[in-house]
Amino acid sequence: MTRAAARVRLLRGSVLPLLLLSAWEVGSHSGQLDPRILPSVECVGQTALRELVDGNLIYHLEVSLGRDLAGFASGAALGIALGALLGISRLADRVVMPSFNAVRQIAVLAWIPLIALWFGFGDGAKVVFIALAALTPAVVNTYEGCRSTATQLLEVGTVLRFSRWQFISRLFLPAAMPSILVGVRLALIASWVASVGAEYFMTLGPGIGGLIIAGRERFQMDLVLLGMVLLGLVGFLLNQVAALLEARLLRGRPARQEP
Amino acid sequence: MIVTGSLASRGGKLVRRQLVALGAAALVARRPARAQATRTVRFGFASIGLNNRPFTGGSAAALAHAKGYVEREFADTPDVHIEWIFFKGAGPAVNEAFANAQIDLASQGDLPQLIGRASGLKTTMVLGSGSHSPTYVGVPAASDIKTIKELKGRKVALFRGTNIQLTAVKVLAANGLSEHDLQVINMDGATTSAALVANQVDAAFGTYELLNLARQGLASVIYSTKNDNPAFERHGTILARDAFIAENPDIVQRVVSALVRAAYWSSQEQNRDTLFEIWSKCGIPAAIFGDDFAGQALAYRNSPLLDPFLIAQYKRQAEDSRKYGLLRRPVDVAGWFDPRFLDVALQQTGLRDLWTSYGTDGKPLSPA
Amino acid sequence: MSDIAVALSGATLRDRSHPVRMAGVGLLLPLAVLTLWQAASARSWLPPQILPSPADVWQNGVDLWRSGDLASHVAISLLRVVEGFAVGAVVGLVIGVGMGVSRRAEDYIRPLFVAIAQVPSLGWIPFLMLLVGIGEPLKIIIIAKAACVPIAMNTHAGIRNIPPGYQEVARALRLTRLQTLRKLHLPAAVPVVFTGIRYGLTHAWMALVAVELLASSEGLGYLLVWGRQMFWYDTVVLAMVLIGLVGFALDKSLALVERRLQRWRVADGGTLVAPL
Repeated sequence: MTRAAARVRLLRGSVLPLLLLSAWEVGSHSGQLDPRILPSVECVGQTALRELVDGNLIYHLEVSLGRDLAGFASGAALGIALGALLGISRLADRVVMPSFNAVRQIAVLAWIPLIALWFGFGDGAKVVFIALAALTPAVVNTYEGCRSTATQLLEVGTVLRFSRWQFISRLFLPAAMPSILVGVRLALIASWVASVGAEYFMTLGPGIGGLIIAGRERFQMDLVLLGMVLLGLVGFLLNQVAALLEARLLRGRPARQEP
Repeated sequence: MIVTGSLASRGGKLVRRQLVALGAAALVARRPARAQATRTVRFGFASIGLNNRPFTGGSAAALAHAKGYVEREFADTPDVHIEWIFFKGAGPAVNEAFANAQIDLASQGDLPQLIGRASGLKTTMVLGSGSHSPTYVGVPAASDIKTIKELKGRKVALFRGTNIQLTAVKVLAANGLSEHDLQVINMDGATTSAALVANQVDAAFGTYELLNLARQGLASVIYSTKNDNPAFERHGTILARDAFIAENPDIVQRVVSALVRAAYWSSQEQNRDTLFEIWSKCGIPAAIFGDDFAGQALAYRNSPLLDPFLIAQYKRQAEDSRKYGLLRRPVDVAGWFDPRFLDVALQQTGLRDLWTSYGTDGKPLSPA
Repeated sequence: MSDIAVALSGATLRDRSHPVRMAGVGLLLPLAVLTLWQAASARSWLPPQILPSPADVWQNGVDLWRSGDLASHVAISLLRVVEGFAVGAVVGLVIGVGMGVSRRAEDYIRPLFVAIAQVPSLGWIPFLMLLVGIGEPLKIIIIAKAACVPIAMNTHAGIRNIPPGYQEVARALRLTRLQTLRKLHLPAAVPVVFTGIRYGLTHAWMALVAVELLASSEGLGYLLVWGRQMFWYDTVVLAMVLIGLVGFALDKSLALVERRLQRWRVADGGTLVAPL
């Protein structure tokens, strides 16, 4: 795309957001908008700065992200392992998959009461919940990726008398890699959303979700808005990082038929 | 931290998941340093301060925490460490913590205690605390609701599973209503306050936090159990996990002794104002506690005794809870109260005389 | 976005073949777990508060059904999700088609849309609660937003990713913009759009659970909270099972509609032929 075209795109893209922001500003300053419901833009900005400098914003972010990544890592790792097992072994597939498909229908948030019951309060319970959220996309995508490994590849493996481990490491996993990476990316998004849910519905603790709840209780809508912006920002960044990694890891692959 | 039972017999998938989760949790969660000699005593409160301050008010236990009574008691045993935990989720959250053996003692209200017992939680009452508490009904400042009867069909905030709910159903029943006649929304204390102020609910059942809102003109209180039937009082005690008592009877004894000393100080009328000032650390102004305790002797509210009257109250609460469908199984309170620690503490501190023991008929028992 | 959409369509919504044969083997694990669970409860291998027995869950379900409460909770939740999903689907389709068909529209709309989409529904709820209160409008708005995003994204991708050969056919036949839209773009985009619609419904259902957990006086999410507060874990498990069942039923109904709609399609090595 040419520089000029890119610039045009950028300009066009900023029209609506700028309109929205200015309407908001005008509304706040003209007294149309109740400041308790919608504080002015600079108020939110000031809060952001204040929280950053003397508040514990960085700490909250760290805690949220730390928990998120811990849950994501364990959930995704387990999910990939399980998905690979189910995708490679026909027996495991037939026995386990229907139950898995049934259990995964239960919206992840609905697991919170049971997890709170089994793991109590504290970060451990939240990490378990986040891992659970990351599990499903990891399993499903790894499963599909392994299942759709082309039969020709498997024949090659049989001919070359691959050991079981070689089958897995040289054929299945590389063939499934694009799907696995998609699953990992989805798991990353799912765990970020789940970590917000954990902070809302499980015990009180530091974190961005906690910031939003605190803001709501104290009628500090600037905190709520700040929290929302951070949620979106972190989610976006995580997605970009994941996409970048995915592109890197899949570089140099020949174009393949989508499963 | 994790009850081993839950790992034992589930399907393999779940075990693996829990093992990995445990691993992850171990990485993330901070564990108290469990050196050979250190013993941590975890005390839970079924309440939390304003804006989630780690303080609470309205009970001798709250005073004990604020003024370090228990820490002073254990000053000579540095290997014993006290951890205080405040549960925003109140009584139900304390039950979840007990179910996972994550706390050892707790100050909790009657209904959640009964619910926990009905579910099979193994605990023992060791001390009275926070009994005879009033409950209030608040409405938004601009509301036109004046009586309980007008709550019919309205959106009412109620914290389910707490002792507020038991009082609420009794109050409703006395006015010919039941929970089904209202649109009940489950909300904790802070959420309730926010919802009232923002006019998102038509009414709310609550504690002194509602008085605080009324004082600031953000809401109105249309009802108080203090002007009504004493049977509507909320009760509470301190209870401890049976396993913890069995393993650390000495610690339990010393904690009880410290709490009795706190109960003593908080039962003396000359300390009234100072007491409310100390409680205001939780964010609720002293004047509000003044209103909450108005017309009641400190010794009445802050009595640590597990007398026949209290036991009879709990029996009645159990029956009422069953009657109103809050308990699914009948709960037997026999054997739940253990006054041994209390008796020793009263003996050691010589404080037996301050409080009156009441019999099941509500009349004072003659001293033994 | 397009690669996600296509990968999603292949990776996660494939239906099982030979359902009857699968059923037999597939039931082994659930039956084993149920038996183990019932035995564990009956013999108290676990403390009773850790897990209610299947019999208790069933009994609780029967009791609630008899009192009419169960039906009313399920009905309320279903009604909310259907209403919210309808609104969200319409908005999503309009935005998706708009962005897909016109690069200009995409340039204007996409950044703001993506920004709004990045904040999960859970993040929007506290803000919206203050704006519109905690009544039905809150639920409809949240559910609509949750449904709208995947539908818009997928519709956009579906229209954008039409093989260039189609454009040439349109040019060769000198079709007008509207004709191109109706005869080529939309039919070719249908599979991906439908994937988006199915995802929209799934997300809508999840958003419903979220909003009912936070601020509701009825519904399945409300039942879940009620059970948790009262330590009635049979009610909790019952609510979970129902949430799963209804979610499944919703998804399967859409799958059926999808299959019906695609009966006229002749898929052949990836290319599509639609009647002109």
